[in-house]
Amino acid sequence: MTITGEVGAWNARGNSAPAVVARGLTKVYGQGDAAVHALRGVDIAFATGAFTAIMGPSGSGKSTLMHCLAGLDTVTGGQVHIGDVELTGLNDKQLTLLRRERIGFIFQAFNLLPTLTAEQNIRLPLEISGRQADQVLFDRVVETVGLRDRLAHRPTELSGGQQQRVAVARALISKPQVIFADEPTGNLDSRSGAEVLSFLRTSVRELGQTIVMVTHDPVAAAYADRVVFLRDGLLVDELVQPTPQSVLDTLMKLEA
Amino acid sequence: MLKTTLAGLRAHKLRLLLTSLAITLGVGFIAGTFVLTDTIEAGFSRKFAAAADKIDVAVLPGKKDEPIVPRDLLEKIRAVEGVADAQGVVRGSAPLIGKDGKAVGDYPTAAVSIPRGRLNRTEITSGTAPAKPAEAVLDANTAKTRGFAIGDTITVLDSENAKHEFTLVGLFDVGIDQELAYYGAVGFTVETATEMTGEKGFQEIDVAAAEGVSAETLRGSVAAAVGSAAEVKTGKSHAADLAKANGADTKILTLGLLLFGFVAMFVAALVIYNTFNILVAQRTREMALLRCIGATRKQVFGSVVLESAVVGLLSSVLGLLTGLGLGAGALALLGRTGLEVPTDGVALAPRTIAVGMVLGVVVTVVAALLPARAATRVAPIAALRSQVEEHTFRTGVLRMVFAGLFLAAGAGVTAFAVATGPGEASLFMSMAGGAVTFLGVLILGPVMVKPLSAVAGWVPRRLFGVPGKLAVDNSRRNPKRSATTTVALTVGVTLMTLISVLTSTMRTTYGAKLDEQFPVDYMVQVQGDEGSFPRALAEDLRTRPELASVVALRRTDAKAGAQGAEFEVGTFTPAAGFSPEATTGSFGDLKAGTVAVGDEAAKALGVKVGDALPLTTTEGGEVRLTVVALFPQANALIPEVTVPHGDFDRYFGALDDGAIFANVKDGVAEENARKAVEAAAQPYPTAMVISSTELRGEFDEALDMMLMIITGLLGLAVLISLLGIANTLSLSVHERTRESALLRALGLTRPQLRRMLSVEALVLGVIGALVGVVLGTVFGWAATNTMTTGVIFQLPVVQVVAFVALSGLAGVVAAVLPARRAARASIVDSLATG
Repeated sequence: MTITGEVGAWNARGNSAPAVVARGLTKVYGQGDAAVHALRGVDIAFATGAFTAIMGPSGSGKSTLMHCLAGLDTVTGGQVHIGDVELTGLNDKQLTLLRRERIGFIFQAFNLLPTLTAEQNIRLPLEISGRQADQVLFDRVVETVGLRDRLAHRPTELSGGQQQRVAVARALISKPQVIFADEPTGNLDSRSGAEVLSFLRTSVRELGQTIVMVTHDPVAAAYADRVVFLRDGLLVDELVQPTPQSVLDTLMKLEA
Repeated sequence: MLKTTLAGLRAHKLRLLLTSLAITLGVGFIAGTFVLTDTIEAGFSRKFAAAADKIDVAVLPGKKDEPIVPRDLLEKIRAVEGVADAQGVVRGSAPLIGKDGKAVGDYPTAAVSIPRGRLNRTEITSGTAPAKPAEAVLDANTAKTRGFAIGDTITVLDSENAKHEFTLVGLFDVGIDQELAYYGAVGFTVETATEMTGEKGFQEIDVAAAEGVSAETLRGSVAAAVGSAAEVKTGKSHAADLAKANGADTKILTLGLLLFGFVAMFVAALVIYNTFNILVAQRTREMALLRCIGATRKQVFGSVVLESAVVGLLSSVLGLLTGLGLGAGALALLGRTGLEVPTDGVALAPRTIAVGMVLGVVVTVVAALLPARAATRVAPIAALRSQVEEHTFRTGVLRMVFAGLFLAAGAGVTAFAVATGPGEASLFMSMAGGAVTFLGVLILGPVMVKPLSAVAGWVPRRLFGVPGKLAVDNSRRNPKRSATTTVALTVGVTLMTLISVLTSTMRTTYGAKLDEQFPVDYMVQVQGDEGSFPRALAEDLRTRPELASVVALRRTDAKAGAQGAEFEVGTFTPAAGFSPEATTGSFGDLKAGTVAVGDEAAKALGVKVGDALPLTTTEGGEVRLTVVALFPQANALIPEVTVPHGDFDRYFGALDDGAIFANVKDGVAEENARKAVEAAAQPYPTAMVISSTELRGEFDEALDMMLMIITGLLGLAVLISLLGIANTLSLSVHERTRESALLRALGLTRPQLRRMLSVEALVLGVIGALVGVVLGTVFGWAATNTMTTGVIFQLPVVQVVAFVALSGLAGVVAAVLPARRAARASIVDSLATG
């Protein structure tokens, strides 16, 4: 256990600059007496090519942190960098274009457009940005998540696990600088959840993808290279090479 | 349950407002119609009553076939005891000559007598009433437009077309007399008016009672004096009768306007039905929760119906207020166009309130019944499901069977009507066929949405990239909802297309008939088409080198046939290039002792080619003529019974010409020809020169005016259907909050999201318009074919294309607010909902 939150304290394998960096991040909802301090000054860096999990009790600010890092929400103070681009200060259009070019998303549920087939859903981010899909990458991604025979189906014809695999494939296809996953297995049974998590880990190992995942499940967190812990809007702890047991222990300690 | 419903309504004020706007507009239009016509009627009644105050007894024509009061009655009435004064009212025509030497206006100016004393009902606004035979007054409007001022000398023609000069001593206000307002009026003393108009009697004799004699008593003594020669009424009952007759006129206006109001209400019902369907679908979890905590199906049903009743009630009240505003607005507009409408201010009659409230509430509740039933089908377990189910639509056999039945019945009835040929019954039959077909389309709607959206979305899909593709997919996502949304628009577009098909077909047909039967460039006609001018005018025209041929028409009324009924009998002087078409027989055979008869007159007379036709003449006694030709009478220029011109002179003497047709020589400039004809007509003040292009222009103008008014009135239905599109879209936006957030997260910009919704609305608008245009065209065709013979169908391509384009555009406008709301939503908040 090292000093938590110090920028660059954990630079995975030392191969390159971090994919995402936040400095002094604060987020306040509401004003005056009703003000809620969701983030109270978070400094954190996410290494390129690493799988990081963000954990913490309910209300710890983990989802808010992810939204701020991904440019979905504005910050009250501090800075966020995705690669060499500073997010804070970008307008909505610039943020949108940044998300489109550099960020992939996997949400807990409602990931797919019901009117589109699985394949159309996978290709959607590329279509929006007007890019051509790399057919080799497409095939590889589809093979990886095992959806070859489901491509022509619509979301309603897919199981929950299959739907999340489509979402994973969609996040991977545009080769984003970072993928943010918000409780990606929260709605799945354990077997489907394990499948999705293995795909995420495989994509980090084999495609060199950077992934940041918010979860409250110690088993899911154990798939990551590193787990950071939040409590009351502050980064309080972190684990490298976690196991479900070590994650659970740390959580118990935090709750106490 | 009541509290829950009301709390729910309060929580969604905006949704309530959008929903109720449709009903508000419909009720508003109907209430506005009543307000307008009630106000007009009340105003007229008051004016009539005010005028009647001055008269104690009115003596009116007693016999139907002689609509005048004999002149000798006046002296008899003056001699009756208790009569303070009696004045004859003379009304006829006396053409006023304008400063250009020609009679003013298309119709001769009306001439009225202005009595002196308390029986004078006309209001002299400046100057004095005519006191001497050489004095006259003009109505203020005519004086202004023709540039006459008090002190000027005006020239007026008498019934023999002789010119008389008068000193203009005053101006008067025509008041509510629409006839005088339309024709313009010149007022004389009673004696002069009689001389000028050549009227053989009075239109009415007004009587004033002496001090202490009641109107009723006077009526009795006057009636005794005149006997059966005239009808005698008190001033009050005469005013009441006039007001009643006027009320019959406003009733037609009321009915006509109400028709459009009902179309609007029908569209509003569709919009309400759709809105409640969506609301119920969206509140599935709410309903399920109610069921979970013990609400019965009946209570759920009741809560939806109650909600609709509250919406209906509120919007009806708003609608009544809107109606009051609309009525006042329409009156102000009428006033501005110069139409004199007396008003005492607008008011809501109890009848208006009752009709508006009942209609508004009933339509809303009935439209919400089916959605309410759907709400009862929600299972309590649905409360626990987190994800909104995608609505799937499968084409049911029953739907196809019913749609097929309706469509077949509608097509069959219409086809039968068209095959039967023109006539009132056929026209109604084809319209009934149209209504049945529309029901078929309504049932079939959801099935048609998919293929139609492929058609309507073809261009946007290729033009607008990802937002375009998503939009087209979204437009057919819920076929039932899309169908009902678009059908509301279809109603308006169908009727608009129908009307424009009718007018363009009428225009073309009339134009062709004009070319065929009016192969003349100029027509010289007597002002108002009654009377004649000397034959010298035609002779003069024949000498003009600019003209190729000149045909003179002479007419009179004479008894013809075995029954001896009156027909218009006439002749035309032959000229090169003027040959009327015969349907049977030939005009070539029209020689001495023969006759050509129009088809409708022939039917009435029961004659065909070769038959003998007895004709009573003034100079030649009774003659028997042989029918040699029948001709189509509609739009024909020649009289219904036409004899050779030599025969006509022998039968009726050398009558003057009633009309002249002239053709321009090839190569002569339009303006030169016009100058020549006008120069020839100049000595005859009442001879009006009309060119066929002008005639066509006037007809076109009248058609355009009609098209504009009807389209404007139908615009209300279209406006309501646009509210429906806006409503559906905003509810869809609400439903797809998370989906929009996902798209935004994936990199769709705000403008792209807005565009997506705009394109969806565009596609919906175009689908509705496409169906409407097709239906309107088909039934417009059917209607024209059942109206008259020989129609030349003309599709108003530009208008039809414009309807489709404007509908799409209107859809885009309707999407502006929902799209803004969707684009503004925070991604994080939206992801968290649901």
